[in-house]
Amino acid sequence: MKSPLLGQFQPPNGEPHMLGPIQRIETPMHHFAEGEEVDYLIVGVGAGGGVLLQRLARAGFRVIGFDAGPFWDTERDWVSDEKGAHNLYWNDIRVTGGKHPLAFGANNSGKGVGGGTVHWASFTPRLHPSDFHIHSLDGVGVDWPMSYSDLKPYYELLELELPVSGPSYYPWGDPHGYPYGPHPMGGVGDALIRGCTKLGIGVSAGGPVAILNGSRADRPHCIYRGFCIQGCKVGAKASTLITHVPDAIKHGAEIRPNCMVSRVHIGPDRRATGVTYFDPEGRERFQKAKVVVIAGYAIETPRLLLNSACPGFENGLANSSDCVGRYLMAQAGNVVSGRFDGLVRMYKAPPAHALTEEFYETDPKRGFARGFAIQTVGPLPISFAKQMMSSKGSWGWGLRSVMMDYNHWAAFGFLGEILPHAENRVQIAEEKDPLGIPVAKITFNLGDNDKRLIKFGKDKTMEVMHAAGAQEVVQEARYAHLVGAARMGSDPKTSVVDQFGRTHDIANLFICDGSIMPTQGSANPGLTIMALAARIADYVIQQGSRVLNHNDRSVEPPPMRRDLSPPDTWGHGMPRI
Amino acid sequence: MSTETIKVDTRPVDATTGKPIGPLAQPGYYPGFSTLGQQKYWDAKTRQVILDRVNNIPEIRFFTTEEARLLKAICDRILPQDDRDDAHKIPIVPQIDKRLYENSHDGYRYESMPPDREAFQLGIKAIEQIAQHEHGRSFVEIGPLEQDEILRSLHDCKPSAAHDIWERMSVDRFWMLLVSDCAEAYYSHPFAWDEIGFGGPAYPRAYMRLERGEAEPWEVEEKRYEWSAPPSSISGKHELIAGQTEHFGSPGQGGTH
Repeated sequence: MKSPLLGQFQPPNGEPHMLGPIQRIETPMHHFAEGEEVDYLIVGVGAGGGVLLQRLARAGFRVIGFDAGPFWDTERDWVSDEKGAHNLYWNDIRVTGGKHPLAFGANNSGKGVGGGTVHWASFTPRLHPSDFHIHSLDGVGVDWPMSYSDLKPYYELLELELPVSGPSYYPWGDPHGYPYGPHPMGGVGDALIRGCTKLGIGVSAGGPVAILNGSRADRPHCIYRGFCIQGCKVGAKASTLITHVPDAIKHGAEIRPNCMVSRVHIGPDRRATGVTYFDPEGRERFQKAKVVVIAGYAIETPRLLLNSACPGFENGLANSSDCVGRYLMAQAGNVVSGRFDGLVRMYKAPPAHALTEEFYETDPKRGFARGFAIQTVGPLPISFAKQMMSSKGSWGWGLRSVMMDYNHWAAFGFLGEILPHAENRVQIAEEKDPLGIPVAKITFNLGDNDKRLIKFGKDKTMEVMHAAGAQEVVQEARYAHLVGAARMGSDPKTSVVDQFGRTHDIANLFICDGSIMPTQGSANPGLTIMALAARIADYVIQQGSRVLNHNDRSVEPPPMRRDLSPPDTWGHGMPRI
Repeated sequence: MSTETIKVDTRPVDATTGKPIGPLAQPGYYPGFSTLGQQKYWDAKTRQVILDRVNNIPEIRFFTTEEARLLKAICDRILPQDDRDDAHKIPIVPQIDKRLYENSHDGYRYESMPPDREAFQLGIKAIEQIAQHEHGRSFVEIGPLEQDEILRSLHDCKPSAAHDIWERMSVDRFWMLLVSDCAEAYYSHPFAWDEIGFGGPAYPRAYMRLERGEAEPWEVEEKRYEWSAPPSSISGKHELIAGQTEHFGSPGQGGTH
């Protein structure tokens, strides 16, 4: 255990580190000395890693968070510009294949402190209770080793910490209300409400999104500028960079940005001893830790586990089940675009501001298991031009002409559940990145249920767009989000980690990110990843030295800690349900 | 080889008057709208990045002179700007060259594709081979309609030559790479934002009129006119890209939800 007052301090360089226009990091960051062993070493400070880091620091552990990308100063580093946001994504090469290959980069990855939460649209729906038992209920996929009721208190907690704005009554899944009121509608939200209403489909207006509609502490309210997924310079949209990392630093955590972890080391006692990483100057270094937590998301987490193969773990770490890299999932994310006679100007308002989960649950009449959501999206000009290229085949004068109509178009995102398949997986390619680390190779194919679900959902989304009054409706097949590839389960033969993210094979190696999700529902995964991280934090904190120093394993759920939240969580906003 | 090419009008046509449009400083339906005119309301970093994009056109460092000349002719058809005056043409090839010179990419490569640098080199070579095969002349020397027909054959996944190259690289993926790069260069430029009525950067100033497509006080109301592609072009029509892939993970994915 540490005191934040011991050890070296970063010398003040005169320039404040800004997180939005008001929030700044005041506390100098603690630096652990070379060769010093820490309690917890977290690889990746995104949705999962950021929340875990903050709680471990608050609980008094010595903790370092590594991130392969920068520690953003949002005023200095970010721009209000689509092309200029390119460096927010994981742009190191990955090889993608299969019959229905995934796209990466801007779609589903982040590189830098805050990870993907830096550029998420920040839709924050919960999973439904049914999502935890789809094998029992529908005979597809796999059940989680936990229930909705295990995660519910953490959903409620994270909805306050971020916080989440949305309607006071949200009718789907486990009905609940949101602590902050809904946002005003933009043109796309209007279209979704109009279309749904005409068809008698329930719709949620103004959320749930992790965007402030009123100022809170040192974070300003939303200004509706529409650049959410280019990084919110305003500081209104939540990301762990601005919601959890500052509190972690205040409580003595160290962030090591621009440091790429290449290997987890295992000692003769089959416990993790630390990691090798490349520092910002490209020098290879070693950091010792009592516990290693990987939070690199669904591609980098399995890549690191597989690249860390060593004697005794020839097929990669924590891979005795052969499940590392397998059961990778993306959600179907077709974008349906509709052209209206009147103007829409879809670049205004957050892309995420209205949705329906009316089709979320299995309906046997539809001929497939599970379901989908329909959500607003708001592509800016470059994305929209590429969408027109794919959905209409536009180029040349055709592209110029459809783009001159940009302000007449609205876009909906269909978000459908794709089931886990063992052959959808992350492997290691022969190709290496500039640091010499073998890159990930991803294979992805859709199953029959997936194809039927996509066909139905895409048609339904197009029907809603027509009902909203669009004269021309087109669509583009694509994916959104990633989860899986290191799934949790009770049986070590068929899963990588237990319900607390602890690998079955190595007692002091944990995984705390979306890769542990065994199925995904059709909710955007960010909030669930954070809720899981908060629960993992409560577990390891309660276990104390048993996790730090011993191999004995308890699966006793921890009591929920309400005293580990960032400041300003309590006493603002009230769930109205 | 010297070749006589009949000079054809490559400007789009005003549907009402039947007259060619341009060259104009600003095509589109938002006359007088200028995003650059709003730059004092942008944050400093954004202003710096966008002014740099406008004022400092990168040198050609990746492509050879010949490749750059061919690619310029290709991009002139993929994103034609014949309605723009010279002072307001948006540079495409220098942006593609900069990206490839810096080896910057989107973080993935399809198994059916070589790395982006090689893909562009191969694609340019293939297009030139098709021109030589069909017309016995370079792509830069044939007429705009012939150029469009060759590009259209890639869009349709039916290239008539360079089959050895297309065995190494899928036609539709290359097509989408090429169109995407042109679109990114064009629609990241403030001149294009003015053309389509996109408000541009909006921090720290907010948008306040969110509904019904209303213009901010500093934006401009739409003034439509009907127009059509020039007779020398076949790119005005919309037909879906052909090909084997089902277009999952197509480049239009750039984070939307």
